[in-house]
Amino acid sequence: MFGYIMPEKPELKIKEYEMFKAFYCGVCKSIGKRIGQIPRVALNYDSTFLAILLFSLSDSSISIIQERCMLHPVKKKNIAAENEIVDYAADMNIILAYYNLKDDKIDNHNFVSSTGMFFLSPYYKKLKHKYKEKCDIIEKKLNELFELENRKCDSIDEVAEPFSKIMEEVMAYEPLCADKKVEKMLRWMGYNLGKWIYILDAYDDMEEDARNKKYNPLLVKYWNKNSEKNKINEEINQIKNEIKERIEFVLIYSLDQVIKTYELMDAKKVKGIIENIIYIGMLRKTEKILGTGSCRSFESI
Amino acid sequence: MNPYEAYKVLGIKEGADEEEIKRAYRELVKKYHPDQYRDNPLAKLAEEKLREINEAYEVLSKQRTTGPKTNYSYGGYKNTNNTNTDSNNGYYRDDFFSNVRVHINNGNIRTAEEILDSSSVRNAEWYYLKGLIFLRKGWQDEAYTHIQTAVNMDPGNLEYRATLSRIYNAYSQRKQSGYGTNNDTDICSFCQCLICSDCCCECMGGDLIPCC
Repeated sequence: MFGYIMPEKPELKIKEYEMFKAFYCGVCKSIGKRIGQIPRVALNYDSTFLAILLFSLSDSSISIIQERCMLHPVKKKNIAAENEIVDYAADMNIILAYYNLKDDKIDNHNFVSSTGMFFLSPYYKKLKHKYKEKCDIIEKKLNELFELENRKCDSIDEVAEPFSKIMEEVMAYEPLCADKKVEKMLRWMGYNLGKWIYILDAYDDMEEDARNKKYNPLLVKYWNKNSEKNKINEEINQIKNEIKERIEFVLIYSLDQVIKTYELMDAKKVKGIIENIIYIGMLRKTEKILGTGSCRSFESI
Repeated sequence: MNPYEAYKVLGIKEGADEEEIKRAYRELVKKYHPDQYRDNPLAKLAEEKLREINEAYEVLSKQRTTGPKTNYSYGGYKNTNNTNTDSNNGYYRDDFFSNVRVHINNGNIRTAEEILDSSSVRNAEWYYLKGLIFLRKGWQDEAYTHIQTAVNMDPGNLEYRATLSRIYNAYSQRKQSGYGTNNDTDICSFCQCLICSDCCCECMGGDLIPCC
């Protein structure tokens, strides 16, 4: 997960903002208490969204407590108290963080990712035991991804498939999947969320990946690498402009699928936050990274 | 379904007047219209939802009229089977492709793809069906290029064109939806409006913003 799934803050009500933060802190605390202090650094916004969405679909209730934490030792914060959904989101956060590092290590062989993996692996082993089936599928998909990267796959749909399937697996929270219809919806939403994240990330990282000679499906497809070093940025920018419309189509279409799926779901609680995220937040993020929104010139002020 | 549930399904307060019920109903029908979910693996679920909405509307309108004027409905979306018929119309000429279509409609995407790939024909319909399969799998980029190819190969085919524009519309409507009804508060359009007004005033000899 990469932390692209965020609410649009100015459009949130204060109570929704507080609730979102409470879930964010709740997931963080859950990692700290049950898994360990070190993995807390891997926390991101995507798992907060996961917790909120699953909570909204479930019948469980949640209590908000006020607690201090290591990062905010003075002021008490609102925190969503531990419940099985918050715990699930916390676990998934760690599992995905681990795989993310693994992916990075294979790509880059750098120090940061190996150290990260070293610290995370004992926790990961615990979780692998708990979610054996899910982890098996995720690992299988990850291997497929490495294979596609190795053979320099240039179909963006094909190369996005493994990650989309991973997100599908993450969204399919077992207790809710007792209802087959809900499972179908969660899986389709997960697939399209994964697709959106993967393609957005690929587009966002094009310059960096070109400079560091990292695999990026969009570079494989659109860039011939024989350019001089000082011209890389210029060239990548030109390519980005050329493919913008095509990428935008894929991103917005999969976002549209996420929204259509949500509209079929029977969301019971915290709807305001979810709707803010999927109707506005994710669209803004897309616009920002593609540089298409009407207000892009205001960002520099 | 009792009236209480019906109000809940339509998302309106109990005792809402006829106008409100109609408006809510119309909006929901638009939202869950089969066209909106046609290329989506969740089409069956959307159909169910629409059936529920129709039922709720019928319950409420019956309760209201209690006279001979019953059975009022919009657009004829009561019949749930009518969504699949279009795909069978006039395609019997080719057993092979109609077989693939049946599999796509029933959601057996993998079988449909296997059958389609086994063929050596690469005509417009092949590309069209391949595109539909990609769409159900969530491969939007390939789907768009394949259906575009189908349209290019057979520009006269209305079905291909309709699908292509449906996909494109889903994208362009969502793209514009950003701030929904809040578009008027967008700071950029506000500035544009001010500057334009200033230019107009200056043309007419007046001035709206004195400093420029």
